[in-house]
Amino acid sequence: MNRRTGLVVCAFVLALFVGAPSVLAHHVLGRPAYSLGADSNTPPSLQVETQIGSYLVTYMAFPAFPKPNEAGRVNLYATHLDSGEVLRAAVTFVVRDDRWFAGKEEILGVQQIDDNVYRQGFEFKQTGDYIVSALFEAGGEPYRIDFPLRIGDPRPIGPLGLAVGAVVVVLVGVNVVQRKRRWRLQAERKVSP
Amino acid sequence: MIMQHPGLPDAWALLVLLAMGVITLWGLARSPAQTARAPKTPGPMQELFSILTRIGTASPWPQLIARAMVAALFLLVIAAGLYGTPVPERNLATTLTWSLWWAGLIVSIFFLGSAWCGICPWDSLAQWLVRRRLWRRGRADRSLNLRFPAALQSVWPALALFVGLTWLELGVGITRSPYATAGVALLMVVLATGSLALFERKAFCRYLCPVGRTVGFYSQLAPVALRPARAEVCAECQTLECYHGTSEVEPCPTRLVMGRLTENTYCTSCGSCVRSCPHHNVRWTARLPGAEAWQQARPHGDEGWFMLVLLALTTFHGLTMMPFWEVWMAQLARLLGDSGQLLRSFSLGMLGTIGITVVLFASAVWGSARLLRGSLPYARLFPRLAFTALPLAFAYHLAHNLNHLVREGAGLGAVWLNPFGRDTLPPGMEELHLRHMNPLLSESWLAALQAGLMVFGFFLAVQVLRHRAPELYRATAVLPGWRAAPMLAFAAGVSGFDLWLLMQPMTMRL
Repeated sequence: MNRRTGLVVCAFVLALFVGAPSVLAHHVLGRPAYSLGADSNTPPSLQVETQIGSYLVTYMAFPAFPKPNEAGRVNLYATHLDSGEVLRAAVTFVVRDDRWFAGKEEILGVQQIDDNVYRQGFEFKQTGDYIVSALFEAGGEPYRIDFPLRIGDPRPIGPLGLAVGAVVVVLVGVNVVQRKRRWRLQAERKVSP
Repeated sequence: MIMQHPGLPDAWALLVLLAMGVITLWGLARSPAQTARAPKTPGPMQELFSILTRIGTASPWPQLIARAMVAALFLLVIAAGLYGTPVPERNLATTLTWSLWWAGLIVSIFFLGSAWCGICPWDSLAQWLVRRRLWRRGRADRSLNLRFPAALQSVWPALALFVGLTWLELGVGITRSPYATAGVALLMVVLATGSLALFERKAFCRYLCPVGRTVGFYSQLAPVALRPARAEVCAECQTLECYHGTSEVEPCPTRLVMGRLTENTYCTSCGSCVRSCPHHNVRWTARLPGAEAWQQARPHGDEGWFMLVLLALTTFHGLTMMPFWEVWMAQLARLLGDSGQLLRSFSLGMLGTIGITVVLFASAVWGSARLLRGSLPYARLFPRLAFTALPLAFAYHLAHNLNHLVREGAGLGAVWLNPFGRDTLPPGMEELHLRHMNPLLSESWLAALQAGLMVFGFFLAVQVLRHRAPELYRATAVLPGWRAAPMLAFAAGVSGFDLWLLMQPMTMRL
């Protein structure tokens, strides 16, 4: 490949990147894809597409690994399954601990639509698992969409580690106790004639 | 999108009500039943059945292979739950555990009694980890062999765990979480292993296991059970290998002596007694369904309470799947100021259902005791009459679970091919509709089975009443059973309410 051909190829590739994407990026699968992550330089920690009632919902959480005392954001985009119209209603975002004995829910905020997307900022003080819920009413029906959100590093020991640990502790403990019993018995036998 | 199953058609419900009316009249008009029956010698069909089942139980290998397969599946469930998709409809952990196993287990009791306990993966893993033997008797020093605390030697611990499991299942909603399902599965293995390592025999199976005790109580109504072939052989036996075991075979894990066995409640169908008996006198026997509940099982206070709470929780199970349940919970939550998962409201609803069932039953027993004018005190009547709760609970539980199994069992094939649910999306409305419209059984067959089960349960409850409390019947009266009217009203009321629940559209679990 000579220098001239190389320049032509580079120019073509540049044209592909500059020209065509500007048309496609706005509506990947009919959704304003770039606007969901425009103000974040990391990929979302979670991207969920789900169907609830008459709506197809896309949900994202930023940044990729949200940490305590660090600002983050959830974006929500919902379209009607039949008409394809974007949801236009006030969406309330609430949060609760993702635990069996969760405390009360706290309201994160009530958001109006902004460039077809509902954006809710958050900042958590503590590491943990949370459930962020988006609540809205459409067609006279109440909707509630729950999304899990992890803040901070994942727990180092999961249920499998706990279970294996507990079993090992019990088995080793029983083994030690039984050995001691055997030694004691042997010692008693040696003492008695 | 929440899908709902259609309820039992009105025509079938009307037929059930008619049948219940006839059975009630029959229950009032009949004389007290004869409870003492001479043991029959086995007939040719019984002999054939015993020979066929003996082929499968005499050698430990068929059971061991079944145990290994179930344990492998169980480990796959845990792995899928922990590392698979969180979408419950796409994960093997939730679909297999709640749609197939939990629903199918109750159906299996109807045919096989407590056979499930014989291949239970919780016990298998615990046994392999602690005893370190595949099936032969392990060394005694593998366990500390402590005595289980005397205060807990009853079914109360299992009842508490059963209430807890129901609360987790319906209140916390672990049926919708593969991760939580795997967590509970692991917890059960830890409990079974810890118990086997610390206590003598299998204290977990005997006192703690909520599933085993539920299976045990229901299997009193099953048409098959492990029993001595000839009572006189057991009566003359001095060595009691079934209880003590042999050098090769484990002793009975729940401390049962085959010659004195009158109820299935604590039999785990492990088959040790079959293999250890030197006279080859223990075998699977076919029997009249329900005969044990109305004749042979001995009444105990704690067991009576277990059966009563079992009845309450089966009804509660159905109640929580009604469309109006959510509305009730929302209203109760507003009253209580509850929010989030509404666990306080749910717990109150659950306790309320148990409370109402107990109060209704206690009132019926009190009414019966009053009609007997003190000849049989309330305290003695309570555990005896609690057996009426068992067929009522079993029949509704079966009818309700059939709905889950038949309607939600369809379309599970894809989960077997992709147990972790990798690269899958939640099911769309079309898929849910398709699954809903293509049940494993036709609608009319399902309705007929549900109706038949409700009639069967009510008939058994009346039979239990006739046999358990003959004092309530007077052969000389025009209606010999009029003193049984309070208990008949209780049985009819519970059956009627359960029938009404079956007639309502039911929310799909998955």
